[in-house]
Amino acid sequence: MNWKLPFDIPLVIPTMGLPGWFFDTLGVIVFVVHIAFIYTLIGASTASVLYNITGVFKKSKTDDVLAYKMTNPTTISENMGALWGVAPLLVISVLYTGFFYTAILKVSPHILHIIYGNIFAFLLSYAYKFSWHALHRHKGFHIAIGLVAVLTFYTLPPVFMSMSNLYLQPETFATVQTIWDIMLTPLTGFRLINFFLTAFSFTGIVMIYLGVKWIKAGGEDAEAGRLAVDQGKKWFMWAAPVNIAVLPLVFFAFSPRFSEAYIHTPFVFLPFAASAVLTILFFFLLKRFGDEEMNLGDATKALVLMVAAVALMATARHGIRVVSFEEPLKLQAEATEKYMTDVIAEYKAYKEEMKNAPAVVLDPAVSLADSKGCLACHSIDAPLVGPSYKEIAAKGQSAETLTASLKNGSTGKWGETPMPPQTLTDEEAKTLVVWVLKQK
Amino acid sequence: MFDFPIFEMPTIGLRMLMAINAIIHVFVSHGGAVGGSVVLALAAWWTNKRGDTAGYETVYRLLMVFFILSTSIGALTGIGMWIHANIISPNAIGGLIRVFFWKWFIEWIVFNFEVILLLFWFMTWKQKETTLKGRTSSVRFGIWYAISSWVTMLIITAILGFMLTPNFDGQPWVDPEVYPGNVNYNNALFNPTWFPGLLMRTFSSIAFAAALAIMWTWLITAFSKDEEIRNTKERLIKFFATIMMVTVPVAAAFGYYYLLQIPEAARAMIPTAMMTRAFADKMDLMYLIISGIGGAVVITTIIAYFSPKRMPYIAATLMVAAFMLFWGYEERTREFIRKPYLIYHYMYANGIRVTDVPYLNKVGILKHAVFVDEKDKVINEDKSNLVKVGHTIARIECRACHTENGINGLKALTAGWSEAAIRNRINNLPGGGTPYMPPFVGTEAEKEALAAYLATLNKRGEIK
Repeated sequence: MNWKLPFDIPLVIPTMGLPGWFFDTLGVIVFVVHIAFIYTLIGASTASVLYNITGVFKKSKTDDVLAYKMTNPTTISENMGALWGVAPLLVISVLYTGFFYTAILKVSPHILHIIYGNIFAFLLSYAYKFSWHALHRHKGFHIAIGLVAVLTFYTLPPVFMSMSNLYLQPETFATVQTIWDIMLTPLTGFRLINFFLTAFSFTGIVMIYLGVKWIKAGGEDAEAGRLAVDQGKKWFMWAAPVNIAVLPLVFFAFSPRFSEAYIHTPFVFLPFAASAVLTILFFFLLKRFGDEEMNLGDATKALVLMVAAVALMATARHGIRVVSFEEPLKLQAEATEKYMTDVIAEYKAYKEEMKNAPAVVLDPAVSLADSKGCLACHSIDAPLVGPSYKEIAAKGQSAETLTASLKNGSTGKWGETPMPPQTLTDEEAKTLVVWVLKQK
Repeated sequence: MFDFPIFEMPTIGLRMLMAINAIIHVFVSHGGAVGGSVVLALAAWWTNKRGDTAGYETVYRLLMVFFILSTSIGALTGIGMWIHANIISPNAIGGLIRVFFWKWFIEWIVFNFEVILLLFWFMTWKQKETTLKGRTSSVRFGIWYAISSWVTMLIITAILGFMLTPNFDGQPWVDPEVYPGNVNYNNALFNPTWFPGLLMRTFSSIAFAAALAIMWTWLITAFSKDEEIRNTKERLIKFFATIMMVTVPVAAAFGYYYLLQIPEAARAMIPTAMMTRAFADKMDLMYLIISGIGGAVVITTIIAYFSPKRMPYIAATLMVAAFMLFWGYEERTREFIRKPYLIYHYMYANGIRVTDVPYLNKVGILKHAVFVDEKDKVINEDKSNLVKVGHTIARIECRACHTENGINGLKALTAGWSEAAIRNRINNLPGGGTPYMPPFVGTEAEKEALAAYLATLNKRGEIK
């Protein structure tokens, strides 16, 4: 296989003596929290715009209330989603530094969209939320703001997932040149389908849970709560079935080196387990489909099952790293060790040589010329940007002329390229001019 | 660096790409989050204590502005710093993460507190403002938010300080002759510019936030239809100006203290850092810039303090603009004076470690350039690919600071130079003329290739 891998960073990994499984677990937990918020962000922002539209067409106050209430989970999940995205990346970049950074570089500058595109979507989603009452009579415009925000949020997962698919398969570093080489692959397609379907089913469950809470709180919001429960079930039941089928297939869309190895590990059962949990949840909700209200216990059970499915998916995803990185990590460690051994040997030899080298006694005028940057353009015997000092001395100019040229700059004597004026004391100028004139 | 894929940013260059993100981040994180949290928590506490309902409401409107800025632009450009650093110098940020992983992890935990407290404070403000008990608890959220904001700055300035002065009390943070590098985490953390930098940043952030708050108070009160809100202008601007009267001199004093702690060689580069190479000798221009910015801050603060009601909008914007210039200059200077290093005495600005140099000079920079095509690595017998190889070397060693023909472009910098002149120049890059440049790294043949490539930049399109 044509591996192209960077060297590892030649500093110890600061594990503080903690075992590998600690970092694995940490990585999975922070990722589950992150992705749960991101699922909610994608779903809740979509729901808010969707019910805003249906509210206008059905002239339904309840839809409008639900749409407005969904802006709160949007605000919370966009903030927490971004925040909890940092922790998995921190863990990954300390453990798999070379692979992660190589992938980021390969998909640059497009990867910056997850910063600037995100800021744009964030600001629009705030504009959408905080202008709700002010734009009450301009629903078309208001919905347009929300829609652009949501569509911008939709553009972020394809970019990020391309990076992720690249770093998970280091064998592709040799062939992938731009982001499109990895984005337009069946793998990214499969994973995006899985991502969006999970986002919508996850949000369905969040809507059920929030709806039950709003019904319990009573008052004006109870009606919106009933709508949320009803719609939440439908969101889940539309999105889950295809996802149940797609989910286990994702892991076979990776490169053959990986898929063949993955099949022989226990991780391969996890996507099927996640599908099974989603199936159970599907029938659980089907049984309660006719109920207009659900009790808090059932809503909590549904949420727990959904999070469990996501955690299984995340652990299966962690399995990708375990299986995929084993070989390249070993190759990288060997190459780095060899490189660093050579580097350090050469560095020691160089230091030894410097120690034994006779001290060079420089003419103070030469040191001065170097410190003033003269030697950038002049040398003693070869014309560079400016003439050589030998040529200058041979021209037979007076010390005064040369001093003036030094201090004020000069052009035309040796061609078009000007000599810029230099900041020198009289003493320094004198030292230099005397030295230059000696170079005949 | 030579072992990662090469990404070039045409025209604006990698430095400018990073600078855009960094400057936006500094504006929002220092003014909006760290300073803003302190200033707004103080203002909420003060208005609530005086039973000033209208003032308390104006503070809420200010908080909305600061909330929107900090959580969107501030937080994301913060993550952006990291992604940009990945693109520009993967070896440097990879090294920093190995050294500071746990500090960054702690910062992330504190960052959680910061964001959650801000969300709570802002989103529950309206529910809690009706009762005194509610308001008191709301103000407490604000105070804890301010404390956690400041702690995130506490940690990140340690990393900034480390890059400039990585050794505590002359004790090395790592032995360059050991693999894998045995990092002394305490020496790295307690580096000499950590606290001076932190103190300077803390007080100038609070002052900057107060200036932003004055500007936004002006806007909010001027455009409010509510008479009572309009009347809060005078007392709130006076309150924020009082904060500035205290913090501006303190920040200036700590700024001077910080200046005394940085290495001699770095301090010598301040004029070039502030005014570019062309004006580096014009010291009077530098003092003009410094006194212009400082004077604008001082004068507008005095206006705001003594005449808050009549303070013109132009003075409020001038005040904010002066602070923005200050932060822009501060960041540029801090980044520049570290040259030619990225991590002082350990890694050059182009990501090549000091220890690597003797070995790479022997075997060549391209030998281990993993992501470079094999055909561009070795010069052919007939030298037919000399320029191509030279271009590859430029992409590896020069791209961190130079573009081909844009900002700090190699073409303009070598205009009118012969190939021999360029070659001589490559020999003494870190010399007296340009002490901020790292040395050329590679074999003599590679040096020849680089000179050949640079010489072609100004010859294209010429009729031979």
